[in-house]
Amino acid sequence: MTNEEKLNELLKQRGIEMPDNANISVEDIPNQAEGCSRLMDIYYMLKNTVDMEYPYWYNRVWQQNSGDILIVRRAKAMAAALSHLTPTILPYEKLVMNKTRNVRGAFPFPWVTASFFNAQADALMSEADAPAESEADAVSIVGAGGGNVTKSYGNIISIAKKFGIRKEEIPVLVKVSKSWKGNSVEEMSQRYAQYTPQYKLEQDIMDSVLCMFDSYCIPQGREVMNYYLPLQYGWDGIIELCDKRIAETMGEAQGDGILGMSRGYYYVAMKTIAQGMSRWCENYARRAHYLASIESDPAIRKNYEEIEAVMAHIAHHAPQSFRQALQLTLCCHFGVVNEDPQSGQSIGRLGQVLQPFYDKDLREGTISEEEAIELLEFYRIKITCIECFASAGVTGGVLSGNTFNNLSLGGLNRDGLSAVTPLEYLIIEAGMRCRTTQPTLSILYDEKTPEDFLMKAASCTKLGMGYPAWMNNQVGMNFMMLNYGPEGMNLQDARAWCLGGCLESSPGCFLPLNYDGKITWIPGGAGPTAGSGVHFVGLPKVLELVLTNGMDCRINRQILPPHNRALDSLQAIQEEWVNYMNLIIDCLNKVNNLQMDIWRKYCPPIVNSLLKPDCFTNGRDLGMMGGRYNATINFESCGTVTFLNALSSLNKNVFVDKKYSLDQMVDAMMHNFGFKTSYETGVFSPDFREATPDAPKYEQIFFDCINAPKFGNADWEADQFLKWYEDVMFDLTRQYQSYYGKPLYMCQISVSTHGPQGFVTLADAAGRLAGTTYSDGSVSAAAGTDKNGIYAIFESATVYDHSTQQNAQMNLKLHPSAVRGLQGTRKLLDIVRAYMRKGGFHVQFNVVDSKMLRNAQAHPDNYRDLMVRVAGFTQYWCEIGKPIQDEVIYRTEYEN
Amino acid sequence: MKHIDCQNYIYLDCEKGMCALSKTIVPIDGNGSEACSRFVRAPKCSCCVHFSNPDSHNLGTCSGFEKPDWVYGSCGAETCEHFKMNK
Repeated sequence: MTNEEKLNELLKQRGIEMPDNANISVEDIPNQAEGCSRLMDIYYMLKNTVDMEYPYWYNRVWQQNSGDILIVRRAKAMAAALSHLTPTILPYEKLVMNKTRNVRGAFPFPWVTASFFNAQADALMSEADAPAESEADAVSIVGAGGGNVTKSYGNIISIAKKFGIRKEEIPVLVKVSKSWKGNSVEEMSQRYAQYTPQYKLEQDIMDSVLCMFDSYCIPQGREVMNYYLPLQYGWDGIIELCDKRIAETMGEAQGDGILGMSRGYYYVAMKTIAQGMSRWCENYARRAHYLASIESDPAIRKNYEEIEAVMAHIAHHAPQSFRQALQLTLCCHFGVVNEDPQSGQSIGRLGQVLQPFYDKDLREGTISEEEAIELLEFYRIKITCIECFASAGVTGGVLSGNTFNNLSLGGLNRDGLSAVTPLEYLIIEAGMRCRTTQPTLSILYDEKTPEDFLMKAASCTKLGMGYPAWMNNQVGMNFMMLNYGPEGMNLQDARAWCLGGCLESSPGCFLPLNYDGKITWIPGGAGPTAGSGVHFVGLPKVLELVLTNGMDCRINRQILPPHNRALDSLQAIQEEWVNYMNLIIDCLNKVNNLQMDIWRKYCPPIVNSLLKPDCFTNGRDLGMMGGRYNATINFESCGTVTFLNALSSLNKNVFVDKKYSLDQMVDAMMHNFGFKTSYETGVFSPDFREATPDAPKYEQIFFDCINAPKFGNADWEADQFLKWYEDVMFDLTRQYQSYYGKPLYMCQISVSTHGPQGFVTLADAAGRLAGTTYSDGSVSAAAGTDKNGIYAIFESATVYDHSTQQNAQMNLKLHPSAVRGLQGTRKLLDIVRAYMRKGGFHVQFNVVDSKMLRNAQAHPDNYRDLMVRVAGFTQYWCEIGKPIQDEVIYRTEYEN
Repeated sequence: MKHIDCQNYIYLDCEKGMCALSKTIVPIDGNGSEACSRFVRAPKCSCCVHFSNPDSHNLGTCSGFEKPDWVYGSCGAETCEHFKMNK
């Protein structure tokens, strides 16, 4: 008997049954369903593609309805766009619908941003008019990096360094974009931003990449879907409800002299979009009917017939089966993500929402557990195909090509008991069998969560796909009460929270689903975007500017006004850093508020305003605070630990030990400690150093900087700065108000911004070299600097209360040998539990061998399906930029 | 006649699609992009009776709706309520 078998036996004797799959190896996991396997084979061949069907119809109907009430005009445009999309159905899929006719499709939103296309119109047209290369060339050149189209070839033009668009559609792109010249959200907000006193400062800040991007780039997302209304009423039922509400409210202010009259228009808009969503579903039913009519294979024909039946039903009626319900949630999801450029439109607690449907089917014998898993595998592929067309900087530099459609599991139900459902076990199982980047899974860990569920989740994490990640349910609830209490959130609603985007804690509520003869309180999102405030300020870069008196030496430009202060103490440096942060947040917040205000006035959410409570109840859209909770807008930071380590080194080397003057330290930083910069070497990993002739001059100071106390070693000398920073930022962010008139709060995720923001930052006092990637997350140790083990990092990370902010992000890398077998699963869960019990909010794992990653970097074609966890999301290795690849490779790897 | 203009063409991406009959991947351009004998013309604006006056970029006029407007010839029309195949 092996040790693991003995342990199992012992546990069994004591009444603790381990789930069957807690001890499984990769080889034991059943293959994904055959249809899914075929779809994934196709997926790996696909190019990210932009086409113009949606923008064309949106633009046409928008322009033709000039003069109509704006929310109705937008609803008409969106309904026309959705209902004119060419439906694509692949032979093997059981769930259908896409963003566009292409499988990994996306499209530009010129009504949000058109300036790039208008500025490049001539260049784009030249490319469109250029003769194609030889036919052989046209079909033989393959874009590098998985599905990314990073270069133009043949009849395909690369845009945003990610998508291919066919040449014949370029004139359409240019013509549609011209319609929005001067009146896109981007240009309108720019016009008014010029009235803000610090406009030039804001422009300088953006030019120096102190801040990553503007709010209009992705105005929605980082929030949680709510599927209640369509699941309860179906599209026809919603249309009927709209008619009733229109009759009740049209022409009636009912005591509200400002927005009372707008309710009638809102319901007309909601009726319009519900009709559009219904027609969109009908189109798929018709296409499935046609495909069935030409199909000779009986099995595939049956599949098409089933799709036709499902789509025809949900085009009008509330779902009556698990499959119909799941398909309807997909329809809603695609409807919302087609409203604006979006990332982080999260699914929420789907396994709890759909459990009543699964229960009924199971009881009636119309579905088996295996069939449900198969559908959930198909669901994974559908969500993985969601792409976002934004600028190259946002798509690559921030998102790494991911769209962060997060699915949360666990947590508590409305009654305060474990919310885990049988369907959630199957969702994890589907994630183990069908390994795709999306939806990423998040466990809302609570002490009430069943042990076998946690073990199942840990078994999945061990497989190395980076999911599920682990979040602390109680810390999340506490943040909800702290942040949304002033808006009236009670404990029951706090229990409905989950993740929007990769790690944006988002407010929710429970609604009573009347199905199968009983009421089930299902959770869902209850607010607008829990993002879209100030987008990723590089904290180390701000420190650099403090030390250079506001001068960005990389681009040789004065970015911030000189403070002209003698920096004769660490306190002086910290105070000037806070002063600069105040300046930065103040001007960025005003401009971003304008961007989002103009967005909500000219591009109000439509589908999302139908779905999110309490919009429909109040007759008010999401942009006008129709959602139940609106204190959602955040300030996003990047490079926390890189910044803290630099402070720690300054403290030690300059002010405590007085080994160097500040001038000597700054001189060493400016000269990159005598090494070549990553701009020169093309390597962004902090461990790669190539000396210049100056190296000996800086050898000692570099040594002392590298050896200064670092965060992540349970060393208060370094960790004190995290406590200081969190306390300062708690107060600082709350001094500023969003366009909803609510205080900001801090979001501490790096996504992929630690790559580009590290790129623009010179060497720092902790010995990090110029241009190398920042530390990831917000409480991950800087790679290679955590010497005292995982529990020391936990000690360091929890020197402050994590529930004061929207999140705190920790990434850990484990060698697969560290978590092998049942004991390894238990060990992994123990690690998670230890961190949660200390009050840590989030931890996620890469269970991967760094040697393999190096090999994959050298031979990407051999690793098309390799996935890694970056910072809050999982992505295909070959679709990630090199700086982030370098950073993931260099993360400290724990072997035991 | 190309695969991409056939009703049995399933869109995949900017360089290829799938034939619903043979289940094979078919290119949009170059060798192998020509349709087979089972070609059925797909509804697109360029083959609609309401499409007229295309320019050198195949942008023409759509007169199928109450308000005429510009349209591009390769726009899919399978879901258009006023599409009528130009014989």
